[in-house]
Amino acid sequence: MMSGVDILLSIIKGGKLLENNTPNVKPDDNCGYKYGYLNSCAPLATSWVPMQQASTPAYGSGEALNRGTLFPGLDLPFKNMYNKTNPYAGTPLGELMALQFVVQELKLYLDTHKDDEEAFKALKDAIALEKEGRLRYVKLYGPIQFDDVADSETYNWIDGPWPWEYAERTGK
Amino acid sequence: MFSYVKSLQYPVKISATNPALAKFIISQYGGPDGELGASLRYLSQRYSMPYPEFKGLLTDIGTEELGHFEMIASIIHQLTRKMSMEEIKKAGFDTYFVDHTAGIYPQFASGTPWTAATIGVKGDVITDLTEDMAAEQKARTTYDNILRLSDDPDVNNVIKFLREREIVHFQRFGEALHKTMERLDQKNVYAMNPSFDN
Repeated sequence: MMSGVDILLSIIKGGKLLENNTPNVKPDDNCGYKYGYLNSCAPLATSWVPMQQASTPAYGSGEALNRGTLFPGLDLPFKNMYNKTNPYAGTPLGELMALQFVVQELKLYLDTHKDDEEAFKALKDAIALEKEGRLRYVKLYGPIQFDDVADSETYNWIDGPWPWEYAERTGK
Repeated sequence: MFSYVKSLQYPVKISATNPALAKFIISQYGGPDGELGASLRYLSQRYSMPYPEFKGLLTDIGTEELGHFEMIASIIHQLTRKMSMEEIKKAGFDTYFVDHTAGIYPQFASGTPWTAATIGVKGDVITDLTEDMAAEQKARTTYDNILRLSDDPDVNNVIKFLREREIVHFQRFGEALHKTMERLDQKNVYAMNPSFDN
C-alpha cells in the first residue's frame, strides 16, 4: 500500500494523475480534491476561502509546468483552454524548469500548511531532484545560479544567451 | 537580499514580430494590475505582517511576481525586437517608439507610467490580505482579456501559465486570511489591528 507521499513522489517523477485519485483524503471525508474545507460556524462580516485539504493528487512535473499549477484541484483554465506542452519540454532546461516549478508550488502550499509532513517530505525530494537537474544543466550550458560559476573553467556567468533571449540554451 | 536565477520561470519563445500585441500586453509589465505592482505590493506589506509564516508567503509570492515581471518583459522584447518602421506605423506603436524605441518601459497600455497609486499597503493584516486577493483577481481578469485579444499561440501559451498563477496565489492568500481569522477574537475579529496593537 503506497502512502500519500509515495504517490505524490511517483507522480512528480513523471507518472500520471489518475482521475478522481484522492489518496490523501480521509475515508470519512466526502469532499473530493476539487473542494476544500470551511468552518461550520464562522464570525459574520468576514471572508473565508476553503483550505486546500492535501498536496495530493498532483500532476507530474512537466504537466504541472504546462498547466501553471501542481494541483489539479486549483487548475481552473479560462474557457477550458490549457497548455499541452511548452517550448522547452523535453530539453534539460525544460526539465529543470519543471522541477523548479514543483519546488515553488510545494513551497507556497507549505507556507499555509506548515504542519503537512507528507508535503514537506515531497518538497525535500523535489529539491533533491531539482539539484540533480541543475547540475546536469550547468555542465552542458553554464551557470544558472551565481555560485555555479565555481565549477566553470572561465568566468562565464555573463555569457549569453540571457533568459529572455530564447536560443541554443534549449539544446535545439 | 535577493539573488538572481538565470532562467525564466516558464519558457517564452515567440516567433512572430507583432508590436500590436505588445501595445496592450505591456499593461501587465507596468499597468494598474501588472506584475511590477504585484511584486512591490507583497514585498512592501511584509513589514507590518504580524505572523511569521505569512511574512514567508508574502516574500515567496512577491519574489515569484518579479519572475513574472521578467517573463512579461521577455514577451514584449520578443514581439518587438525585429520590428520594421512600417510595422511600427501600421500597429500604431509609433507613440511608444518615439519615447522608448524598442526598450521595455513599465507603463499602462494607455501610456501612463507605472504608479504606486495602484497598490495598497494599509498596515492591517485583514485589509492587506483582502487587497491581495482582489489584486490576484484583477490580474486574472486582465489575462482573460489578453487571451480574448491575442491570436498568437506562442504568446497565449505563456499568458495561460501566468493566469493560472493568479488563481493559485488567490488560494494561498485566502488560506492566510482564513488562518488569520482563526487566531482573532471570534466574537469581534475587528476589535484591534494585530499588525499594530499587539
